[in-house]
Amino acid sequence: MTAEKVITTTEKYAIPGLTNVLYLDMTDRSYSIVDRRDLYEKYLGGSGVAVNLMLEEYKEGTGPLDPEMPVILSTGPLSGVYPTCTKTVALFRSPLNGELGESYAGGHLAMSMRFAGCETIVIKGASKYPLYVSVHNDKVRFRDASSIWNLSSTIDVGKIIRDVEPGAGRRSIIRIGPAGEKGVKYASVNVDTYRHFGRLGLGAVFGAKKLKAIVISGDQEIRSPDHTAYKKQYKKLYDTIVKTGLMEKYHNLGTSENVLVLNELRGLPTRNLQGTSFEGAETISGEHFADNYLIRRVSCAGCPIGCIHVAMLKRPFSKAHEYETLNISYDFELIYALGSNLGVEDPKAVLELIDACEKTGVDIISMGVVLAWATEMLQKKKISTEETLGLELNWGDAAAYLRAIELVVRAPNEFYAALGKGVVYASKKYGGEEFAIHLGGLEIPGYHTGLGNILGLTMGVRHSHLDNAGYSADQKAFNKEMSDEEIIDMLIKEDDLRCMLNSLTICLFARNVYTYENVIEALAAIGIRKTEEELKELGRDTLKKKYELKKKFGFSFENLALPKRFFETASTTGMLEEERVKKALELYRKKRGL
Amino acid sequence: MAKRLKVANPARCIGCYSCMRACARTWYNTISLKNSRINIQTKGGIETPYAQIVCHACVDPPCMRACPIGALTKRKGGGVNFNREICDGCGKCVEACLMGAIHLDVENKAVICKHCGVCTKFCPHDVLEMIEVEDSGEVKVTDTGPVSPTESHKELYGKKEAEEGESGKEKAEEGESGKEEAEEENEKKKAERGSGKKEAEEVK
Ligand code: SF4
Ligand code: SF4
Ligand code: SF4
Repeated sequence: MTAEKVITTTEKYAIPGLTNVLYLDMTDRSYSIVDRRDLYEKYLGGSGVAVNLMLEEYKEGTGPLDPEMPVILSTGPLSGVYPTCTKTVALFRSPLNGELGESYAGGHLAMSMRFAGCETIVIKGASKYPLYVSVHNDKVRFRDASSIWNLSSTIDVGKIIRDVEPGAGRRSIIRIGPAGEKGVKYASVNVDTYRHFGRLGLGAVFGAKKLKAIVISGDQEIRSPDHTAYKKQYKKLYDTIVKTGLMEKYHNLGTSENVLVLNELRGLPTRNLQGTSFEGAETISGEHFADNYLIRRVSCAGCPIGCIHVAMLKRPFSKAHEYETLNISYDFELIYALGSNLGVEDPKAVLELIDACEKTGVDIISMGVVLAWATEMLQKKKISTEETLGLELNWGDAAAYLRAIELVVRAPNEFYAALGKGVVYASKKYGGEEFAIHLGGLEIPGYHTGLGNILGLTMGVRHSHLDNAGYSADQKAFNKEMSDEEIIDMLIKEDDLRCMLNSLTICLFARNVYTYENVIEALAAIGIRKTEEELKELGRDTLKKKYELKKKFGFSFENLALPKRFFETASTTGMLEEERVKKALELYRKKRGL
Repeated sequence: MAKRLKVANPARCIGCYSCMRACARTWYNTISLKNSRINIQTKGGIETPYAQIVCHACVDPPCMRACPIGALTKRKGGGVNFNREICDGCGKCVEACLMGAIHLDVENKAVICKHCGVCTKFCPHDVLEMIEVEDSGEVKVTDTGPVSPTESHKELYGKKEAEEGESGKEKAEEGESGKEEAEEENEKKKAERGSGKKEAEEVK
C-alpha cells in the first residue's frame, strides 16, 4: 500500500489577495479584465473597493438609469476562503431615491466570483435588446436573452439558464424578473433563488441596461503562503461559528425569531405603523413557521449556518384533493412587511405573498410599505377605488394584496405606476406624506424601537437595518437608561466596524465572530497584514467616501424628511419627539464632521 | 476494525461546502473546491435537495478492475487505495464508477476518497459519518441498533442515549488514525483534528 502524502500539483495558484476587475460594456458587448491590485491592496475589497471604483467611474450628472451609470459588484479577500464570508456588495445609484444604492446578497455569488478570478465586476452601458452575460473563469460571453425576457417568474429564469450553461453546483445565477424589466423602482435582483440584492432597486438598473442575468462560475485555486496557519485559523473560526452560541439565533429559528421578540418589545410595525404590536403575531411567528411549514434549511456557499429557512406551502387547487406545493424562503423582514404591516395573520397568506414578490422580483419591504400606505389612503378616503381599478384594500385581505402586487408591476394606470415608484413619489402625488413610512426615501424595515433606529436608518449610508446598530442600541436603552449621546456614540462605533466588515464582505450575521482580532489573524493567515488601526481607518475612510458619493448624488441633511407617523406611534422606548430626533441628528453630524 | 465514510443523512445537507473545503484543504493544501474528493452537487439549483457524491466504498470496486496498470488496489473496509505515482491519467476508473466519485486533477491524476474522515468533522449537519464495517467492506450487522450502523440512525431507533452517541462518535474519530497508514499521514490527521476531541465534549 502506498502512503499518500499531501499532494502538490504544478497548477498555477491564484494569489491569496484579490487581483482582477472585470469590466463589462453592455453597449458594445465587450469586456476587459484589468489587474487592479492597487485598489485591493489599499481597500481590501467589497465596499471599500466598490466605493473607490464608483468615484473613479461616476460622471457628474449621470442619472440612476442612464447607460453610463455603472453597477459595481465586489467581493473581498476572505470570500471563498473562510466560513460565512459569503456576501457580495452591489454599488449603484438608486432609482428609488436617487442616492447611493448599496445592497448585499449571499447565495453562491461571492464564491463563484472568487473562484472565477474576477473578484469585482463593473457593468456599464446598455444594450438595445436583452442580454445575459456568462462568465466561466476568464471566458466571458454576451448572449441574447430575448427569449427569457418577459418570463413571469425569476425562478423559471434560473431553471432555463441552468440547462444551457455549465458549472452546476459551482455557479451563481443572478437575474431579474418582470419588476426589473418594467422598471419598478424597487425591483430586486434575485440571487440563486433564495437570496437577493433587495433594497434600493438594483433590479430596475439591470432592466434599464437590458441585463437579464449573469451566470458566473470558476474553478481556480487559491493557496495561502502559510497553509498551516490558514488551516488553524479556519478551524478556529469554524468552531466559533458552529460550536458556540454566538450564531445560535440564525441556525435555530433564523431571523424570524424577531417577530415575537419585537412584538413583545412593542417595536413591530403593524398596519402601516399605526401600532407596534400585532394581535396575530403568534401565527406569523418564527416558532409557528418552524413548527408548521419549515421543511429544510439551506446555506450560502461556504457558510455552515444554514440560515435560509425554506417553508413548504401545500395549496389546494381543486375540490378533488389536488394540490400544488411551493417552496418559499421566509425571513423576519418579509413577515413584517407582508404580515404585521398589512394586518395579515394567516401564515399561508404571508407565504403566498412572499412567493408572488419573489417571482416578480421586487424588494418585499418596499412593496409591503407601499401597499400599507395605499390601504390607509383608501381607508382615509384620500383615494377611491377609481384609482385602484376597483380593488378594495383592507388589512388582512391577502387576496386583494396578491392582485395589488401584480398591478403594481404591470402598472395599468397612473396610480399603480406611482406605487411602482415608491412611497415617497406616490405620497407626493396623492397625499398622505405624514404616514408614508420611509426614511431617506427608503421604505422602512420592521423596527420601531426608538431613537437609535430612526437615527441609524436616516444616517446609515445605505439606510439599511443591518448596516447600523440602531435597533440594538434601542434594545440596550430599553434595558438600561442610555443618554442620546451614548446611543449616538454606539452607532458611530458600530458604523465604522460594519463598514470595515463590508470591505471583507463577511455576512453581518457573523459580526460577533469576526472581531478585529479575528479579522487580523484571518488576513494574516493568507498573507495580508493589517493592523487594527489600519482596519479602523479603512472603515472610516469608506464611510467618508460614501458620504462624498451621497452628496454628489444629491443628498443633503437639510432635505431630510421625518414623516409624522414616527412621532405618533409609541416605540419600544416610548414616544419620540421630532425635536429630540433633530437634535440627535445634529449631534451625530457634528461628531462625524459631516 | 475497518472504517469507511458514509453519507448517512443526505437529506440533512444544507449545501455549505464545508466538507469539500476540508478535503481539499487537507489533502491538496489548497483553498478550493476543485480537488475535493467529495462533491456536493445541486440538481436543480438550491431549490432542490443536495446530492453528496463520494466514493461509497465498493466491496468489489469496479474502478480497480478498470485500472489497466494497477494504480488502484483494494482497501481494507471497502473502496480503493490509490497509487498516485503510477497513475497515468487514462481516466478508465472515472468511467467505471457510476457514482461519479472520481475525477482527474490538473496533472491528470485520479482524485479518489481515501475514507480518512476529515470531512465528517466539518459537517455541521450530521450528513457525513464514519462507520465501522467488516474488513471486506461488508456492512456489519450487530444485535443492537439498526442494521445500518450509523450513529445518527441509532437515535432514530431510540436505542441510544445522546451521551452514548457522542462518545461513540469520539471513538470513531480516534479509531481513524489507522495504524497501517503511513507516518506523515497520521501526523497530518492529528494536526487536522487538533484539539477536536476536547471540543467535541464541550459541544451541546
Ligand atoms: S471510487 Fe467508485 S467504483 Fe471505486 S470503490 Fe469508490 S464508489 Fe466504487
Ligand atoms: S473521507 Fe477524507 S478523502 Fe474522503 S472525502 Fe472526506 S476528507 Fe476527502
Ligand atoms: S459539510 Fe455536510 S451539510 Fe455541508 S455540504 Fe458537506 S455534507 Fe452538506
